[in-house]
Amino acid sequence: MKFLIAEDEIELQQAIVKYLQRDNHLCEVASDYRQASEKLDIYEYDIVILDINLVSGSGLDLLKKLKKQDKDCGVIIISANSALDDKLKGLDLGADDYLTKPFHLAELNSRVKAILRRGKFGGSNSVTFREIRLETASRTAYVNECPIGLTKREYDLLLFFITNQNRVLSKSIIAEHLWGDDSDMLDNFDFVYVHVNNLRKKLTKVGAKYLQTAYGTGYKFMED
Amino acid sequence: MLRKASTTFLFSSAVIMIVSAVALYIYTSFLLKDEIEEELFSDKDRIERLLTDDPELKGIPPIMTVEKVNNPQEEQLVDTLIYDPLQDEIELFRQLSGTKMIHGQHYRVAVRAMVIESENILFAIVFTFLAIIFLAFVFLFYLNRSRNEKLWKPFFINLEKLKGFSLQSGTGLNFIESNILEFDELNREMKSLTQKVSADYGNLKQFTEDVSHEIQTPLAIMQAKIDTLINDQDISERQYGELSSLQDDIQRLKQLNKRLSLLVKIDNDQFTAEKMIGLDRILMEGIENLRELTAVQIDQNIEANVLVKIDPYLASVLFNNLLSNAIRHNMAGRPVEVHLTGESLRIMNHGDGPLHHPERIFERFYRESNQVDSTGLGLSIVKKICDYYGFVPSYSFVDGNHIFYVSFLG
Repeated sequence: MKFLIAEDEIELQQAIVKYLQRDNHLCEVASDYRQASEKLDIYEYDIVILDINLVSGSGLDLLKKLKKQDKDCGVIIISANSALDDKLKGLDLGADDYLTKPFHLAELNSRVKAILRRGKFGGSNSVTFREIRLETASRTAYVNECPIGLTKREYDLLLFFITNQNRVLSKSIIAEHLWGDDSDMLDNFDFVYVHVNNLRKKLTKVGAKYLQTAYGTGYKFMED
Repeated sequence: MLRKASTTFLFSSAVIMIVSAVALYIYTSFLLKDEIEEELFSDKDRIERLLTDDPELKGIPPIMTVEKVNNPQEEQLVDTLIYDPLQDEIELFRQLSGTKMIHGQHYRVAVRAMVIESENILFAIVFTFLAIIFLAFVFLFYLNRSRNEKLWKPFFINLEKLKGFSLQSGTGLNFIESNILEFDELNREMKSLTQKVSADYGNLKQFTEDVSHEIQTPLAIMQAKIDTLINDQDISERQYGELSSLQDDIQRLKQLNKRLSLLVKIDNDQFTAEKMIGLDRILMEGIENLRELTAVQIDQNIEANVLVKIDPYLASVLFNNLLSNAIRHNMAGRPVEVHLTGESLRIMNHGDGPLHHPERIFERFYRESNQVDSTGLGLSIVKKICDYYGFVPSYSFVDGNHIFYVSFLG
């Protein structure tokens, strides 16, 4: 898959590239409006990660242009502005998702994958990791074609882990993914622990031992 | 104001009418009485002179009587009731009587005047006066009022404009001209004032957005770098601990920023999406979300269909802040109680003892304990939202319970 990351903060841009490249995606970058505009004119991308406040131009204008050209690519807006108006405007203009800075790279990655899974990219509605298969339409998980009963949260967790396989996920990242804005209301990450533990037990019971503890308090989903 | 002016006018004219009527009555009646008495004295004199010429004078009862008496009497001026055969009724007369020695014989002479006649004149005068003055007042009153209305019209129109002034519009107000020097001066001042307020508001809004933007971007870079570090290098468990604690600090900054900008937004009147919504539904959603995040038991007693006009987002922020506050400070093992009616919300949790400074509970950055994980803004946001919608929040400590009470009726 080919991505374009249009972000004028080089450090952030490079961190995003590095994170997404781990899944062998091809990542190109644009550091200002002109570069981004040129690249979008010439090349085809599957996913465009678009900062709204680009130097010398607005990401929203790029989005309008992109939609006018009727290009078949997914767009995620990343913006420092959390105002609801901006979010709605972006989504109205045809963006597929909207993330407010600061965000976790794992969260960005899972949003990217979610867009790729949607029909228009020819993606299937299932995610597979070895003998584990997740049907995203029915939100059910199978191990060796046998359904395992997962709660809503456990399913979300498993999908998040598989999406971000081979990366360390801290409890706060997981909490924010599961509960979004509500996650900061209570500082009780024990609930992440409970959910992760339940998921791990269910997976281990059917022989899928991929969920590992990293550095004591984090988690990592990987092949042995 | 016009009504007040009219009331003052009406009241003062009524007072003037009463006072002048009374004065007129007293003065005229005094004059009339004086006149009658003068006439009586002169009549008496005249009769006495006639009597000297003609001792057999009989008099014209009841207007005048002459009779012979043996002893002289004092001169007397009295009111008396006498039967008037002409009109066949008893009438009130003013009577002057006295004796006079004429040719060695005492004569008693009495002259009378009908009082009723003078009283009629008196009433006619006072009544006419009252009628004229009343008509004059009514005329003046309406003239005055219509004139005032016309004069003050531009003022009231501009007042309405001022009432409708909203910062959201982004421009100052334009007032209508009135050709009255003072009004036009006031308009000029108000115009420049509203323009300045609008400009300041715009700047403040811009500043808030800028700050929020400028803070979030470096935070995003820091967070991304930490994410990269954790995944890229082989780091020690201790280093991971440090890094994830850094992540938590970034998280706190992010929350702090979010809440501060929420406070500013409410201040700036930027929540205009208010509509009638069921608070019960929003509260229940909030409780459901929290149940996943806490082991604390939440007992709910929620009335159905509590409809209040409020922005849905602010309603859920209000509930979430109060609920998470109650859960956070709850004594282990005890339930948190939530009670919602059409008029109020009450959230109760058990605590060790009363707060040291309950009056400061809704202040920004006021913390009762040194618990670092709270931003110290949750309850001040609650207060701000309540103020915005005219709700009244209050806190009390009763029987070992912290009770937060929000009255929707104000």
